[in-house]
Amino acid sequence: MAMLPARVKYRKMHRGHTRGNATRGNRVAYGEFGLQVLEGGRITARQIEAGRMAATHYLARQGRVFIRIFPHKSITGKPLETRMGKGKGEVDHWVALVKPGTILYEIGEIPEDVARAALARVAHKMPYRCRFVKRLPSL
Amino acid sequence: MEIPTITVESRKAAGSRAAARLRKDGKLPAILYGHERDPATLALNYKEVEQLIFGGVHVVNLTMAGKSQACQFKDAQWDHLGKHLIHVDMLRVDLNERVKVTVHLDYRGTPAGAAEGGVLHHAMNEIEIECVVSGIPEAIRLDVSGMKLDDVLHIKDVPLPEGITHVMDADAVVASLKLPVEAPEVGAEAAEGETAEPEVIAKGKEKTEESEG
Repeated sequence: MAMLPARVKYRKMHRGHTRGNATRGNRVAYGEFGLQVLEGGRITARQIEAGRMAATHYLARQGRVFIRIFPHKSITGKPLETRMGKGKGEVDHWVALVKPGTILYEIGEIPEDVARAALARVAHKMPYRCRFVKRLPSL
Repeated sequence: MEIPTITVESRKAAGSRAAARLRKDGKLPAILYGHERDPATLALNYKEVEQLIFGGVHVVNLTMAGKSQACQFKDAQWDHLGKHLIHVDMLRVDLNERVKVTVHLDYRGTPAGAAEGGVLHHAMNEIEIECVVSGIPEAIRLDVSGMKLDDVLHIKDVPLPEGITHVMDADAVVASLKLPVEAPEVGAEAAEGETAEPEVIAKGKEKTEESEG
């Protein structure tokens, strides 16, 4: 089931811009390995779900998968063959905004080679270039 | 464990542009503080420090102008990708002084309850301990092979080498062995999800829209 917010203050949003690099959510925090996006943009709820399914199917009940992004932003669209005007279109889908460096998924409690293979499958479902990352050393 | 020694230089120019120039030359800006002495700005060899930090080293001997000082890596700043070090904080320490430090928790073995379908959940990947500077371990090894189904390991159950004590809450959960939770039926919910819409909180706005329609 694709993710979407349970409650929102307003249904429709402005388009906005996604600039700069990730300064938060850019470290592996829950698992031991993660998938980090190297480009910024939008990831739809369907793509997030496709990634989750790819990981869980590959892992077959091993380990744990954490999703670190959530589609908070609604995207509207006008129906086909509609004249311009008559106000903003209806909500079409929900997206998560990501910046370069954002950790998209994390995996824990499994060996590195299995995590690498699972996250490689997830990366294929993502619309941007991604890389496999490990937890940073503790000081 | 032998404490590695690194040679450092004093850094006079401060500020982000001077620091960027240093990084371009393969050096790493750092600050040294502690023991109620004035802080000193330093330039370290980037590759050397990176190797040490990734090698799990916490304490080094800094050699500057013929003098040596034991220091602990206190903090590190990374770039947005977590790929390159940007800056490190170093704390002056005495080798016999006790310090608090976070070390990696290394889970070893396969739990006995795994044969019954149990899945080991790591609630913690790092643990905070207090120990003598010269005896900081690279990681704490935790043998989980004796864990049965529904067993829970707490901080107080983590065996520590002699001279090392726990700092965290003794009842905090470290790991648990449980049966996997059944995933909800995907088909029914997916169909529901296609039409699902979030609840709108701004009711005033909604009312005007309804009245318009």
